[in-house]
Amino acid sequence: MIPAAFDYLAPTSIEEALAALSSDADEVKVLAGGQSLIPVLRLRLAAPTLVVDLGRLPDLAGVRDDGGAILIGAMTTHDELTREPLVSEHATLLAKVAQTVADPQVRHRGTFGGALVHADPAGDFPAAALALDAEMTIVGPSGPRTVPAAEFFTDLFTTAVSEDEILTAVRVPKHTGWGSHYEKFHRSAQMWSIVGVAATVRLDGGTVVEVKVGLTNMASTAIRAAAVEQQLVGQPAAPEVIASAAERAADGTSPPTDVNGDADYRQHLAKVLTRRALITACGC
Amino acid sequence: MTDLPASGIHGHPHRRIDGRAKVLGTATYAFEQDVDAATYLYPLQATIARGRVRRIDTSAAEALDGVVAVLTHLNAPRLADTDDKEYAVCQSDEVAFRGQFIGAVVAETQEVARHAASLVSVEYDEQPHQVVLPDDDKGLDDPDEVNAGYPSDTAQGDVGAALADAERLVDETYSTPMEHNNPMEPHTSVAIWSAGSGDGDASLLLYDSTQGVHSVRRTLAPVLGLKPERIRVVSPYVGGGFGSKGLPHAHNVLVALAAQLTGGRPVKFALTRQQMFTLVGYRTPTIQRIRLAADGDGRLTGICHDVIEQTSRIKEFAEQTATATRMMYAAPNRRTSHRLARLDVPIPSWMRAPGEAPGMAGLEMAMDELAERCSLDPIELRVRNEPDIDPDSGKRWSGRHLVECFRTGAERFGWADRGEPGARRDGDWLVGLGVASSTYPAFTMRGSTAEIAYVDGRYVVRIGASDIGTGTWTTLSQIAAEALGVEVEGVRLELGDTDLPMATVEGGSSGMASWGSTVVAAVDAFRDRHGKDPEEGATARAETPEHADRKKYATHSFGAIFAEAAVHADTGEVRVRRMLGVFDVGRIVNPPTARSQLVGGMIFGLSMALFEHSVMDARTGHVVNHDFAEYHIPVNADIADLDAIWLDHEDTNANSLGAKGIGEIGTVGSPAAVANAVYNASGVRIRDLPITPDKLIAQSGSTKTGSPQSGHM
Repeated sequence: MIPAAFDYLAPTSIEEALAALSSDADEVKVLAGGQSLIPVLRLRLAAPTLVVDLGRLPDLAGVRDDGGAILIGAMTTHDELTREPLVSEHATLLAKVAQTVADPQVRHRGTFGGALVHADPAGDFPAAALALDAEMTIVGPSGPRTVPAAEFFTDLFTTAVSEDEILTAVRVPKHTGWGSHYEKFHRSAQMWSIVGVAATVRLDGGTVVEVKVGLTNMASTAIRAAAVEQQLVGQPAAPEVIASAAERAADGTSPPTDVNGDADYRQHLAKVLTRRALITACGC
Repeated sequence: MTDLPASGIHGHPHRRIDGRAKVLGTATYAFEQDVDAATYLYPLQATIARGRVRRIDTSAAEALDGVVAVLTHLNAPRLADTDDKEYAVCQSDEVAFRGQFIGAVVAETQEVARHAASLVSVEYDEQPHQVVLPDDDKGLDDPDEVNAGYPSDTAQGDVGAALADAERLVDETYSTPMEHNNPMEPHTSVAIWSAGSGDGDASLLLYDSTQGVHSVRRTLAPVLGLKPERIRVVSPYVGGGFGSKGLPHAHNVLVALAAQLTGGRPVKFALTRQQMFTLVGYRTPTIQRIRLAADGDGRLTGICHDVIEQTSRIKEFAEQTATATRMMYAAPNRRTSHRLARLDVPIPSWMRAPGEAPGMAGLEMAMDELAERCSLDPIELRVRNEPDIDPDSGKRWSGRHLVECFRTGAERFGWADRGEPGARRDGDWLVGLGVASSTYPAFTMRGSTAEIAYVDGRYVVRIGASDIGTGTWTTLSQIAAEALGVEVEGVRLELGDTDLPMATVEGGSSGMASWGSTVVAAVDAFRDRHGKDPEEGATARAETPEHADRKKYATHSFGAIFAEAAVHADTGEVRVRRMLGVFDVGRIVNPPTARSQLVGGMIFGLSMALFEHSVMDARTGHVVNHDFAEYHIPVNADIADLDAIWLDHEDTNANSLGAKGIGEIGTVGSPAAVANAVYNASGVRIRDLPITPDKLIAQSGSTKTGSPQSGHM
């Protein structure tokens, strides 16, 4: 199946790209890695009149050191995240999440920024972005602005990026030396998460000093498991302590019910997976 | 693998004769047929569940470059017979289910056809619809008969009294989901219509992916108003069927109508995977109340099996869900019934082991529950209730070696290791064993003809049979070779064409018994007439032989299915670690292809137990998980150690060949064997298939205490 006809533009500068987004085309879609957009076009679930391909913009891919943070270009692929030393050292969680996304083909084409802006509640990166307190750099007609991850994901498939804006980079504070794990539950290897838990933790002599837990597919957006974090901070990193805290993973959530599991099952899974993720992250 | 005595060519492994061509890609399936000036069809489908097409605007589609024709109810050629509403395609403005054909676009390419179809605008007058199977039988229909001609209801003795007086009783409701046939090759059809000079000499050539070329011709001829001999159906290779290709469906009529609008150009149509979930049949969901009454020793005194299932409002298909219950176990008091809800849904049809698969899922789960209530081993319970004669017909068995299947399987599988429910643990996994009986009728269908011809030093065997991937190309060649007393290479088989002699459909696991017997009869006729040294061009024909004794017997295949399931204590994930089927299916012609049929059937049953479930949206009449991303069928990772073996009992009471059919019986006992293993592993009984992790966790939470980290399910 092929998509409905559309105009295609591959700008070579941000200015040109932004101008295209502000054009009077009926419906404009931004193409990054295309791993969600292209299937949607082929299924004709969307029929934009103009597709703006970010693939030829300079400086949108790659990871660099930015002092207290690493700066990840929006067009960096999932596969690059798994192999980039800066990510492995300072944001291990992201590398681990990237390894679980779909299959190798998708990981070689799909982009970090694309996945974040697509904001699929079952997508894996938003929970990690929340758990790492990432900051999104968004460029629009009036220049760049920064939005923290906690304010970035606004609803189902909806983010703070408006139609005339582009996400250009993600700033991830360095979590050097933190333990981390992404525990994902899905029906078959390449499928979306039914529930996923992204956990990262800083230990000091066996005590949990800081801990952040992001949940995938437990709401219309990724969310933080705040109750778990609160209960665990200052506690010894021991399995029974973690298990007790993980019991609060579903507190206050109202996850979706779908063909892969009802809300009750998701809440149950959130507890199981949070326990597993934290035990692995703590190495206990 | 069971070693069979070497009594001739059959019984010896033979590589698939069609295997090389399929691997090389030179075996041409229906859609791949090389035809001149092909056009491509994309259908228009109703987007409401019930109502009428008020207005349909095709102007934008017709204006598109590359569009050859647009078909709607307004311009469709009239069909000669519209009694069967499944085939009355585009003959009126009525919409009877969501996804029903309301037209089609034919174009130079598939892409143009599809795009043009998207330009057709349709307005409807919607009517209220009902698409969900109700769980009580009030107001439901009692069909005259159920599929394959069985009575809807049966009764013997006083089942009410037996239930009232039971020392041990099971009274539970089991449900099985709507499932969809998903052969690897979708349904495809290529139609070439020749108008002729008028007056009834039009003709149709149809390349079709079907389980029976002659059944397609016989069914379509009156619908299209053509004499059967004016229709030729060709189908040499088929990529799976599972029953959905046993009869033509609406797409065959649609493509034949469209082919009348193209000036003789061929029209090609391949259904998409998503369209397959609407238009080619499916297994009805069932709700089965099963009551088993037994004495303190576990001897059944009463069996009662009441089924609720669905059909389409426009065409009746009543799955024979309770028929196996009629013959499976001895009990003096018995009752079965089927009630039908007529809904605004697509038309259910045959799906591998229609009736037996869902019905035995219910019955064999109930038997497992009865065994527990009688404190009996499940195998011992079945042994105690083994009937000497068919309790339904009163006839003797042509051959029934179910107990031997259980004994053989129990030893091989290590059944003695089975413990109490929830007792065995392997890390975070709870492990258990389950068993179930399997059965399937041994049909021999009469009405086929085979022809033997001696051409260029080889014997050409002609029969309009089908090979849907089951191995017929090979097995019929083996049977012919043995009867002729030549090597398999000395035989050239022709099948899959209505120009060949009439053959019955590849259905009901009847192919080998029916066609094989016919081929042997044709060889006998050939030798009688032409002797051992025939002249070039010598031919002879024979029809399926009458097997005089057969009517004296109840003819069924049997099997015992064993399963080992592991259930994750925290997540409810289920892994079937081992499965073994031991089958009493008569003579095996070709062990490798036979094993594939049996093992494939078991995988089908495992899938029914754990995975397959077509989810109907009550608001729209739409199956929401209508693709392989959401409708999970087993992949290699789901299947571990799985084996099938067979007993050495040729059943010449059933037919002269002694073969009882192997295509469906693997599917029959497997759902319950897996479900019973899950119960033995976890202590949680799920009576609503498929057994998914969320059901296991929810049920364990409501029956037991325990949080995830406590390690108890």
